[in-house]
Amino acid sequence: MTAGFGALSRADWVVLAVYLVAIVSFGLWMGRGNRRVDDFFLAGRQMRWWAAGLSVMATQVSAITFVGTTGQAYTKGMSFLAFYLGLPFAMVILSITLVPFFYRAGVFTAYEYLERRFDARTRTLTSLLFLLSRGLALGVTLYAPSLVLSVVLGWSETATILLMGGATILYVVYGGNRSVIWTDVVQMGLIWVGIFICVGVAITRLPDGFALRDALALAQTTGRLETMDPSLDPTRPYTVWSGLFGGMFLAMAYFGCDQSQVQRYLSGRSLTESRLSLLFNAFLKVPMQFLILLTGVLVFVFFHFHAPPLLWNRAELVRVERAVPPAELQRVQSVFEAAHLERRAAAEAFALARHDGGDESAAREGYLAAGRRLDEAEAEARRLAESVSGEPYNDTNYIFPTFIVSQLSGGLAGLIIAVIFAAAMSSLSGEFNSLATASLVDFYRRYVRTTASDGHYLAVSRLFTAFWGVFACLVALEAGRLGSAIEVVNKFGSYFYGSILGVFGLAVLTPSARPRGAFYGLLAGMTAVFVVSQLTAVAFLWYNVVGAVTVFLVGLAITAVAPGPRPAGTR
Amino acid sequence: MPQETAGRRDDESQVPLFGTWPRIYGAVVVSALVVMMLLTLFSGWPF
Repeated sequence: MTAGFGALSRADWVVLAVYLVAIVSFGLWMGRGNRRVDDFFLAGRQMRWWAAGLSVMATQVSAITFVGTTGQAYTKGMSFLAFYLGLPFAMVILSITLVPFFYRAGVFTAYEYLERRFDARTRTLTSLLFLLSRGLALGVTLYAPSLVLSVVLGWSETATILLMGGATILYVVYGGNRSVIWTDVVQMGLIWVGIFICVGVAITRLPDGFALRDALALAQTTGRLETMDPSLDPTRPYTVWSGLFGGMFLAMAYFGCDQSQVQRYLSGRSLTESRLSLLFNAFLKVPMQFLILLTGVLVFVFFHFHAPPLLWNRAELVRVERAVPPAELQRVQSVFEAAHLERRAAAEAFALARHDGGDESAAREGYLAAGRRLDEAEAEARRLAESVSGEPYNDTNYIFPTFIVSQLSGGLAGLIIAVIFAAAMSSLSGEFNSLATASLVDFYRRYVRTTASDGHYLAVSRLFTAFWGVFACLVALEAGRLGSAIEVVNKFGSYFYGSILGVFGLAVLTPSARPRGAFYGLLAGMTAVFVVSQLTAVAFLWYNVVGAVTVFLVGLAITAVAPGPRPAGTR
Repeated sequence: MPQETAGRRDDESQVPLFGTWPRIYGAVVVSALVVMMLLTLFSGWPF
């Protein structure tokens, strides 16, 4: 039996439609009554820790995290979990250091604090970097899941982008951060429900006589359960050390210096609530990612017993079917199906050997050999797709949605598609809101209209929110034509995240640091990361350590040698 | 724009869980280490 790309049932469409109508209505309802700018941007600073904490989590979990992570577990295993190992420690450090400074300063943006501590140019540069990177990445945040969903649902990309982006713009423009946080709470709840459903379905769909333990043993045999690689090789992307140290610096930079996160916890009704919202993530983030990755591994085992399609991307498969001579396609398909059947038989023999006390070692070797033959058959199919399109082919993000649409019924597929929508919308909403805040507070109010009524700033805030929403849709609509530029955009942030963290480190840890040291230290940090990325094979998680440490050391050195003027507030 | 700092609650002393901040931070660190230990066990478990 080949896993088809079966269409959604009527019940699925109803569930998806109910979700979209309900979340937009709920967002509008919760966002009523904004009268001041701090209502709009910081939800009146009245949020409880659990709501702000769920919002922090929801903003970080994008749709592509959800479908991409499961796909990655399917193809490569659970090693990606190392990425999150340093996160709990980062949350503790931020709760002790940056959060109290931001909260007591009563700022709207993290960058506003830098002007108070250093000078306007450091604030402006960091805020500008945030707007550039987050603004462009926003288009990718919208485009990537829209592309996957358009293929899976059979819609045009334009329709998916406009539906996802438009629905989010509607409630964020009206309700601001209060709408963002409360819809995030609902969406994060839905995401958790979806994760448990997916794990449950993947377990219950294992064939008779094949227990969860057998499934895990099979995955373990292929190395897919490896989560704690102790290698000291800095070029390996996901090791315990890159996760603990590089991941910790990345999490400190993201949760401590990225306005899309800072704004969530600054909405807390007290410093305690703000701190707890971060610590809440420290407890839940790693277990959540573990479950998402485990789902991908179980889907991998599932497709031992149900034949996967030749290519996971249906649109590419159709293109290949049209372009490749039928005899050639039939040959590749036959090799692929035979290899799949062989691996299935080997997997069953492996389980049998485990149960009946047979030669488990020989069965394992047979299974691994069969797996390699299937890998070769899949590689040949990919080469076929690449020869047709002329571009590298990667369908990792299509694996999980295909599993959902082809295997779930009775409205469950619609629910999980709604979860993917929820994950996308929860990221977009927080980012629209934070981009509007930085635009208004760090630029418009700082340089254009320094004094105006609250009503004026509120109206302009809504305009900025709408602008960033429309901008995201336009970038997403053009993203298909950008090709490899998308990758550049995605990497753009990693060049300066650590450096911005270094500036904040200078600000709160070294009372003697001067504005000149902070500004030129920031430039030196970004340069160092760029050089390391271009001239070495060091894994990207280490860039954040390089950037932060360089800024810190250069900033201190400049302060010691040529300190320059004191911060404006201390003169 | 309103005076953002006016009337804000800065209740560092009120800690709803574990009694004190050092204890909460300690709980986070201990739970992170336990999770890492469990992951190591999971990866190497003889299923």
